[in-house]
Amino acid sequence: MTAPLRDPAHRVSRRAITLWLTEALFGFLLLVGGSALVASWIAASGWSWVPTWISDHIWWLPVVIAVVELPFVVIEPLWRYAVHRWELSGDVVYARSGWFSRQWVFVPVSRIQTVDKEQGWFERLLGLATVEIRTASYAGSSSIKGLDAGVAARLAEDLAHRAHQLRDDAT
Amino acid sequence: MTEDSGASDRPEPSTGSSGVPDPSGFLGGAGGHTSGGPQQPGGAVWVPPSRLSPLVLLIDPVRMLPSLFLPLVGVLFVGGFSPSSFVWAALGIVGSVGYTAVRWATFTYQVIDDRLELTRSLVSRSVRTIPLDRIRGVDVTTPPLHRLFGLAVVRIDTGASGGGKQEGELDGLPLPEADRLRETLLRRSEAARHDPAHIATVGGGSRPEHGPAAAHTSAAPVEERVYVRVPWQWLLYGPLSGAFLLAPFALLGGAVGLAFQWGSQFGLSEKVAITAGEWLWQRPILLILVGIMLLLAMPVAGGVMYAVFNWNFTLRRRGSSLVAERGLITRRSVALEHRRIRGYEIADGVLERRAHVVRLWAIVTGLGDSRTRGQLLPVTPRHFATKVAAEAIGPFEAQLRPHPARARQRRLFRAVAPGITVAAASFLLGWAWIGLLALVMAVLGVPLGLDRYRSLGHAYDGARLSVRSGSLPRSQAVVERRAVVGWTVRQTWFQRRSRVLTVIAGVGAGSGGYAAIDTGEEQGVRFAAEVTPDWMAPFLTGTDNAPSATRN
Repeated sequence: MTAPLRDPAHRVSRRAITLWLTEALFGFLLLVGGSALVASWIAASGWSWVPTWISDHIWWLPVVIAVVELPFVVIEPLWRYAVHRWELSGDVVYARSGWFSRQWVFVPVSRIQTVDKEQGWFERLLGLATVEIRTASYAGSSSIKGLDAGVAARLAEDLAHRAHQLRDDAT
Repeated sequence: MTEDSGASDRPEPSTGSSGVPDPSGFLGGAGGHTSGGPQQPGGAVWVPPSRLSPLVLLIDPVRMLPSLFLPLVGVLFVGGFSPSSFVWAALGIVGSVGYTAVRWATFTYQVIDDRLELTRSLVSRSVRTIPLDRIRGVDVTTPPLHRLFGLAVVRIDTGASGGGKQEGELDGLPLPEADRLRETLLRRSEAARHDPAHIATVGGGSRPEHGPAAAHTSAAPVEERVYVRVPWQWLLYGPLSGAFLLAPFALLGGAVGLAFQWGSQFGLSEKVAITAGEWLWQRPILLILVGIMLLLAMPVAGGVMYAVFNWNFTLRRRGSSLVAERGLITRRSVALEHRRIRGYEIADGVLERRAHVVRLWAIVTGLGDSRTRGQLLPVTPRHFATKVAAEAIGPFEAQLRPHPARARQRRLFRAVAPGITVAAASFLLGWAWIGLLALVMAVLGVPLGLDRYRSLGHAYDGARLSVRSGSLPRSQAVVERRAVVGWTVRQTWFQRRSRVLTVIAGVGAGSGGYAAIDTGEEQGVRFAAEVTPDWMAPFLTGTDNAPSATRN
């Protein structure tokens, strides 16, 4: 049993999996490359304080990292696709995100200060967009990633319009 | 204020503005015409562009002395103390004085309609416009020199997040004028905001019991009420807070730095410093003595600094603001608009808890640097601080609900695990000493973790919510319901396994978010739903006990 919160109504776009897969692959290459650099650095340094059982097998480091990480490159995007959901109902934006750790955000439209639609170059290639919803607090702000560009544009416009109508300046 | 009548027709604008045809007067005149005469809706008199007090001309050169000193000495040295070198040095002084005079003459400020304009026309003309409805607080400080001449520095806080860029500073107003300006700005800023139909949202929140809070919305004559005058005996609690404990070290460091900087001018070189260091190093007893003296000086110097900064701390209500005033040498007075206060934060460290004393801050929307500016009380007894908070802002009496036992395991694990890990790694690598040290840290982590768990709690009393966490510094925040702008619920994989989660109330004030850490899954979500039922109800599962939107 998890938190007593129902799933938000809408999934993000299926193409978001591709986006996350690319990002994960990129991170994977950086991590393995970085650890290989560290390994070569330690191997070349000849530091005496490093125990020999480490320095003799230092090249296992990038290999182990690669083997451990590789499954996650595939798991993360799929897992994220299962978790990431969003919904706008009752003038509250309800979004869920994350994979290993997850996060639910509730932002009432009346407290929204700005709504941005953003597209990175890769997102644009895939026809995706991110909707950023900001309030006066970081903990009341949310960004919904991996939306279909059309859906994102409509959502951003709806939110901005509705926020203008409901503007509540108590904060 | 009693000085009001005298302050409205001060002598200095007439002496200044009659001579110089002021460009901002032109602009101000235009603004004044559109608003139709001198009488403003807020009841304040239209203010012509004014200058700072000419007395700042006496202060500025003194303030510049330290920065001028070295160049002047340099000039004298280079000139070999010849008559011409003195002439050059004198020219330097005259030049800097002249510069301040020109700066003074070209700076004006003016309240026009709904904005404050600060105009500086030294080389190029720059006008900084601060809309009155953006002003969130006005500070009046009196540094020692200013106090000597009866002057004050007025700082205008606009809550802009871009550092100090957007803020206004008026350095060198006569004290009565500074107070008057503060009243004008705060009252007018409130009037400007009350023009639209904001009153509903403002009054809709829960007001504490006293009537004046509701009555002060119109520009009533300024009423004053002193909540607190902190007795000097309580200054003795200061060192418990740990504030300024490092003061002796900072002073020593500053002295060493100065010695290096100035020493080179007088022929002291690094070599001398190194030999001095070696000499000291060979006499460990001396070193230890110095160390002990520094340690002994810590609470004393800390206490003295604390007392100097918090001397005669008073908290009063003036009109629609809370004004906190403190300080022995520099008297600092911070006005917080009552309308913008959303709650308060009570903090106490380990030692402070032993002595049952706490510190109190206001949580204010858009107040930068809230930890120094929002301070409502220095270290005072807990029951007193809660009473003041209840009286000045609003009471909170609900009992904090404890978090589940799984949260205790997590606090313990997080306090102990790093020590254990480091110890294990060090023993594996054969560094016994570090390993032992880490083990000690791990053992100390047990009481720390238990205490962190004891601190955890959350509650809602129908008007305000409260969360508490921390240990070494423990802090409890009390925030009005209407200040909540959203919720974030977080659950890491480990929290998921322990079936707990962290609920963060997004608040557009103070630190931005106040977290109830490691609540039970059901408990945390219900907490958010209890505070804002109409936002959360549609998304809750379990139809049997979904809270009906009775409130609001």
